Amino acid sequence: MKEAHHGEGDKKTYKYGMVIDLDRCTGCGACMVACMAENNLPFRKDNSSRVRSNLWMRVYKISNGRSFPNADVSYIPRPCQHCEGRDHHHATPCVSVCPATATDYSHETGIVSQIYTRCFGCRYCMAACPYHVRIFNWWDPVWPKGMKKYLNPDVSVRMRGVVEKCSFCFHRLQRARDKAYAEGRRELHEEEYQTACTQACPADAITFGDLNDPHHKVYELKKNRNAFRLLEKLGTNTKVYYVSTRAWVRKAADAYTGNQGDIVIPG
Amino acid sequence: MKLDRRTFLEILIGFSAGAGGGFMLTPVNWKLMDDMAIWSQELWPRYQLGGLKGRLPQRGEVTHADTVCKLCPGGCGITVRKVEDRATKIEGRHGYPVNNGGMCMLGAAGLQLLYGPWRVPGPLKRSGARGTGSFGRISWEEAMDTVVQKLTDLRVKGEAHTVAAILDSDRGTVPQLFSRFLKAYGSPNFIRTASVDDTYELVLNLMQGTSGSVGYDLERANFILSFGSGLIEGWGSPVRVIQAHSKWRSGKVRDRAKVIQLEPRLSNTAAKADNWYPIQPGTEGALALGLAHVIIKESLYEAEFIQNYTFGFEDWSDVSGQTYMGFKRLVLTEYSPEAVSRITGVSASKIAELARAFATADRPLAVWGRGKGTASGSLNECMAVHALNALVGNINQPGGVSMRPEMATQPWPEVVQDGTALAGSNMPRVDGAGTSRYPFTKYLPDRWPQVMNGGKAGAIKALLVQGADPYFTTLDSASVARAFDHIPFVVSFSSYLDETAYHADLILPNHHYLERWEDMPTPVGLHKPILGLLKPVVSPQFDTRHVGDVLMTIAKSLGGSVADAFRWEDYESVLKETMGDKWDTLKEVGYAEEPDYTPPAGFATPSGKLEFYVSAFDQAGMKIARDVEYLPHYEPVKPEGDAAAYPLILIPTELMRLADSAVGNPPFCTKTLEENELQGNDLFVEINPKTAAEYGLSEGRRAMLATPKGKAKVLVNFSEGIMPGIIGIPKGLGHAAYDDYLAGKGVSANSLMGVVEDPISGLCATWGIRAKLTRV
Amino acid sequence: MDSASLPFDHALFPEGTKRCKLKWFLLWIAALHGPLTVGAIAAVLCWALALNVTNLNNNYPFGLWIAADLGIIALGAGAFFTGFLRYIVKIDELKNIVNYAVVIGVICYASAQGMLGVDIGQPLRGWFIFWHANVHSMLTEVAFCITCYFMVLCIEYLPLILENRQINKLGFFHGMAHHLHEAMPAIAAIGVFLSFFHQGSLGGVPGVLYGRPFAFREGFLVWPWTFFLFILSAIACGPCFTILITWITEKCAQKQLVKRNVLDILAKISGRLLAVYLVLKGIDTVYWIATAKKVGAPLGSFYANQPYGYWVLVLELGILGVVPMLILLSTKWRQNENLLILACFLNCAGIFMNRWIMTVQSRAVPVLSFDKFVPYAPNWVEYASTFLFVWAGAVVISISYRYLPIFPQEKELNPL
Ligand SMILES: Nc1nc2c(c(=O)[nH]1)N[C@H]1C(S)=C(S)[C@@H](COP(=O)(O)OP(=O)(O)OC[C@H]3O[C@@H](n4cnc5c(=O)[nH]c(N)nc54)[C@H](O)[C@@H]3O)O[C@H]1N2
Ligand SMILES: Nc1nc2c(c(=O)[nH]1)N[C@H]1C(S)=C(S)[C@@H](COP(=O)(O)OP(=O)(O)OC[C@H]3O[C@@H](n4cnc5c(=O)[nH]c(N)nc54)[C@H](O)[C@@H]3O)O[C@H]1N2
Ligand code: SF4
Ligand code: SF4
Ligand code: SF4
Ligand code: SF4
Ligand code: SF4
Ligand SMILES: [Mo]
Repeated sequence: MKEAHHGEGDKKTYKYGMVIDLDRCTGCGACMVACMAENNLPFRKDNSSRVRSNLWMRVYKISNGRSFPNADVSYIPRPCQHCEGRDHHHATPCVSVCPATATDYSHETGIVSQIYTRCFGCRYCMAACPYHVRIFNWWDPVWPKGMKKYLNPDVSVRMRGVVEKCSFCFHRLQRARDKAYAEGRRELHEEEYQTACTQACPADAITFGDLNDPHHKVYELKKNRNAFRLLEKLGTNTKVYYVSTRAWVRKAADAYTGNQGDIVIPG
Repeated sequence: MKLDRRTFLEILIGFSAGAGGGFMLTPVNWKLMDDMAIWSQELWPRYQLGGLKGRLPQRGEVTHADTVCKLCPGGCGITVRKVEDRATKIEGRHGYPVNNGGMCMLGAAGLQLLYGPWRVPGPLKRSGARGTGSFGRISWEEAMDTVVQKLTDLRVKGEAHTVAAILDSDRGTVPQLFSRFLKAYGSPNFIRTASVDDTYELVLNLMQGTSGSVGYDLERANFILSFGSGLIEGWGSPVRVIQAHSKWRSGKVRDRAKVIQLEPRLSNTAAKADNWYPIQPGTEGALALGLAHVIIKESLYEAEFIQNYTFGFEDWSDVSGQTYMGFKRLVLTEYSPEAVSRITGVSASKIAELARAFATADRPLAVWGRGKGTASGSLNECMAVHALNALVGNINQPGGVSMRPEMATQPWPEVVQDGTALAGSNMPRVDGAGTSRYPFTKYLPDRWPQVMNGGKAGAIKALLVQGADPYFTTLDSASVARAFDHIPFVVSFSSYLDETAYHADLILPNHHYLERWEDMPTPVGLHKPILGLLKPVVSPQFDTRHVGDVLMTIAKSLGGSVADAFRWEDYESVLKETMGDKWDTLKEVGYAEEPDYTPPAGFATPSGKLEFYVSAFDQAGMKIARDVEYLPHYEPVKPEGDAAAYPLILIPTELMRLADSAVGNPPFCTKTLEENELQGNDLFVEINPKTAAEYGLSEGRRAMLATPKGKAKVLVNFSEGIMPGIIGIPKGLGHAAYDDYLAGKGVSANSLMGVVEDPISGLCATWGIRAKLTRV
Repeated sequence: MDSASLPFDHALFPEGTKRCKLKWFLLWIAALHGPLTVGAIAAVLCWALALNVTNLNNNYPFGLWIAADLGIIALGAGAFFTGFLRYIVKIDELKNIVNYAVVIGVICYASAQGMLGVDIGQPLRGWFIFWHANVHSMLTEVAFCITCYFMVLCIEYLPLILENRQINKLGFFHGMAHHLHEAMPAIAAIGVFLSFFHQGSLGGVPGVLYGRPFAFREGFLVWPWTFFLFILSAIACGPCFTILITWITEKCAQKQLVKRNVLDILAKISGRLLAVYLVLKGIDTVYWIATAKKVGAPLGSFYANQPYGYWVLVLELGILGVVPMLILLSTKWRQNENLLILACFLNCAGIFMNRWIMTVQSRAVPVLSFDKFVPYAPNWVEYASTFLFVWAGAVVISISYRYLPIFPQEKELNPL
């Protein structure tokens, strides 16, 4: 797939993104597992440490910090936010810092890719990402006997010492494109390119599509007056929108509370 | 000397300088660098994936195959993406009437169960002591011969009735084959593992005279009052219920459905609800009656329905002129909001408020069945909730309660029982179900271990287990273990090395659900008939056989009337014949349904009406003293243990990310558990910080959890979402079987819980147990 | 003296200097190899078993290694800065210490690169940073400048080797050394240019992270303020490090090697630069507090998580900043050797603390309000593999001191 240079040229540019309805999200975690299964994520006998385990999609459980019986919790599924950045000085945080150009912002699709075979594991990108999206491979992947059979050939397995993250299931876009081209089409239908987490979600909480395309559902959904993005103030200009009718949830998404400790049930 | 050293130095320096510089000038070192990089990118990962043999993951032609998930009673349609002959991904099947493309975490991890190391590789025979997990491979012939031998002996000795079978369900061809087998062989002991169905079937039978469990029209209800049901955690058919929830959450915020959760803990369901009313656990029934009180007092009930279609609402008198108390009087006298408030801890004003909101909503629905619905529960509690639904007249109505229907299938020829079979089948069941003591109850899955340990050690001499893991899922693990020790011959048909298989003498592994044919009857909790078909997606990965075929082979070898009962040549022909005219649709489409099904009106009770006053009790000739016993009333279920020694209350909590039924949690799912749920191998229990402070417990620290049934080391998780005085312990961990991805993690909640019998049904009404938590 | 009583290798010693017996020397070198081997083992573990053997995690992509890296390079600034003062500003007195400054510089920069070789997840591909260079990345700039400057340092170090008594006897090498000396001002100029840049870029590494309000700084053109602050702090402490190491060397050699007036020049300059730095750092801090607040990060949120309380600010800028500055500025205190060494030590410690704060603490502070702070402490593998380079440095210094004419004033101060 060739990439148009900063959206110039004859190629149409897309802006793939998500709108996640937190009123619907149940925290069930199907999206997490669907992602693991789709993208050949490794697992270990003990994954109980969040700071070492590998989740491309992580569902945070957040609390309003009030005491019984006024306590309330909400879930925030967090894939890569595929930050567009604001301007030259505020380009995609992780991409602009990668010394080896191993991660890259596609101005044609708006997707932040990760090239595992080029990454050499300096972890500067992780330092740059405020969303803890990027994961380092602290171990080589190991699958129990027989389990390699289910690995998805569309997604390469990653070796130790490299960083990885949610790719918006980029390989699915590639497949959809191949199919479209084969059928002599240039345009994809909305449902032809959907991410694994979106498809799995039993609550239909995740909607995925081209934020630029008025015919795609996300186009209208992101305009909801309860829609917000994580850490808007930083100017990362993310492509994942959230919707919640609960004010405290919207506030938690973009405001420091001073003492993080008391409003989070870590997840 | 000096000169030597000098020349020596000259040579040394000259040489090293020359060598170093020279090497840097050659391309060799650059080439080496590049080679090493490529090695790190390509060869190393390939080596990691099993050596250089071929490209891994293997690429190839991609195909898709539809089937049905069998990892829970949800019966979701799934589509499996395959590369050549490998299944590489499970996705929800679009347009499937149950889950329309949706998935749950467990279903999505199904391939880890298919290809996982915890599969049973082939027929296994126990070689060491029970529970040591030492087994030896044997041939299928030897395996089946062993079973035939054992069963023949028992039958000859006239002990056919001491053979029991435990299954996860009594619906569908496979369970039917087992009950047919027992009937032809001569045993009454077909046991179904516990679920809300046990009690709901009973309630619908007593109050409506119908046989079958419940179906809720969740999608069309718009005021959902849940009595502690884990609608989000996995009650009923999990994906279907979650999708209904999303429906409630769609449209204009103003017009959205209201969801009320009554539960002592801020579960996911409670968190998603519009209102969460923390309630003293075990008092849900009282609350239902409190609501009924307000609804009746303010005449907010469906007078028309109550008048024409119910019996026992008003006081009434029989032919002899004797008058009986009606539901109305009972409720008005006994269950004032104030009285109920004292029992439940929910304020009187909230009760009144809630009652009005419920009764005046246009499509109210009261949902019953604690948590995921894996426990039987209290008969009276269920009756009270059902009465509440009756009051608002939503029985058999859109958005209401009806009976779960099945698609019609072809009946099988009657079993011709020989003498042994007749004699055996007429013996009383080992669990006592159906006896004069429990005339209406079909199965008492939590009772048989108590019976065996209570002096009837010989009651079961051979146990067949299929689709269930009673050793793990039955309450009071210690007594279950003792009961198993009494059983000389345990056969498991499990595909996985689960707890029961681990303690079995013989394992005859069934195909994995993605490797076999089977029918999937209407999923639990549905109000419309749906018949799904499991089709093999991949060829069997191990030396397994379809349990249907194995059972029939055994039957045939047993000969006589047993063999005669199984004329089919193999399981596939059973399936084909049973599905009859639907077979072609099923093979083509994968399912059959009746989208515009409407529940039949009318009730098959003695009065032909929905009975608040259960006259069936009289017919069964049960000795019942007081009127109130015939009516839905509040019968407190006392938790085991005395308050002095055990000041706190332990309740099981169900996490949607932790499978707690017959299927062990796959690695992917365990990976999603939060840091305050599992840490290393240690399980967290939930407790309110206030209570914790009283007992000097500190967050994240170790503590000893003790109940009358056992004790376990746990970690303490402070939560503002749980009622003071209560401890929540997640179900699903504490496995010894499977392998180190699951075994040894956490403790089993069931090992700390006991069985409290419902006085009328005999079913397990346990909702919790007294406990104490001390720092260690 | 008759050559019999002299050490076996005395012919290699610098002209007219005295050194201990060879066996003592070898014993000392052997001793250093003890901890050095432990460090080597740690490094091998990282390569063989991957980085899970460390305490680093996804919340701490940067840990002890990176902090030490930045610290060491800052301390190494003594080399280029002394060179700058000696050859460009032409403070002639400094010729008596510039050699040693170079040796220390070589060690610092070699260590920094060695540490990175352990720190990155795929060392075999480390060179991709050059091959697939991304010009927008501060790290790329750092990598290129540091590598080039390291070469420069080696070239500066080379004449010292060539001036070894025996090697120097060889006409070719003698001439080579001579010519290199001629070219030294030019080489020093290149070094200065490169150094200013990578010291700055190192400041840019955290400074550009606008996703991390704790680290982010506004700036001038493409350079965040930290770019300039890092240069300044580096040259403010580099000379102090040179003094410190010289002092330690003298204690080990049990003789004075450099005249005090030479050290005093460095100390004085250090003190003044430190003063300027602290003023600018103060302004930066105030400005930073304001800009961070704009993006929703009140100062409190930065210091809400133990162990990183407000004391961090006080210690870094006060005790490890103002105190040494005052000592270094006052001629009277400076002349007092103990106070001088204390000041140098505090100054160097301050640099390490600053680098730790900018690289480690700045990652630790959660940005998402619902994210949770997790503490981090390096484990033995990280410590051992970091100190590995201290021991290696000691070996290089020992050998250099024994065989190379590093201290022009040694003979004069210690007549045989
Ligand atoms: N759909 C799809 N197809 C692809 C690709 C893709 O990305 N997608 N990638 C393409 C690319 S980049 C490549 S390189 C090719 C790789 O495709 P192939 O070249 O087919 O690579 P492998 O299948 O890994 O190896 C080929 C055979 O080499 C054998 N072999 C291994 N070691 C040795 C040896 O030492 N000697 C000999 N004689 N044989 C050995 C292996 O057993 C295997 O049977 O696949 C291409 N095909
Ligand atoms: N296990 C295993 N490992 C192998 C091999 C093997 O056979 N088995 N084969 C080796 C060989 S021969 C090769 S060539 C390598 C190939 O290995 P990789 O280079 O990893 O090739 P892919 O896995 O096809 O693609 C890598 C990632 O790039 C993404 N990608 C695809 N197109 C683009 C794009 O246009 N831009 C960006 N930024 N990203 C894109 C893909 O989604 C994928 O996640 O694998 C090597 N490693
Ligand atoms: S699958 Fe859907 S509902 Fe479940 S956690 Fe993910 S987003 Fe939420
Ligand atoms: S979320 Fe993090 S990883 Fe994803 S694009 Fe933004 S900065 Fe990069
Ligand atoms: S870790 Fe990999 S992707 Fe991240 S910055 Fe370093 S080289 Fe780039
Ligand atoms: S988009 Fe794809 S890669 Fe990203 S989280 Fe969802 S499933 Fe995972
Ligand atoms: S809900 Fe039950 S049936 Fe549906 S996918 Fe999950 S496990 Fe399978
Ligand atoms: Mo390749």
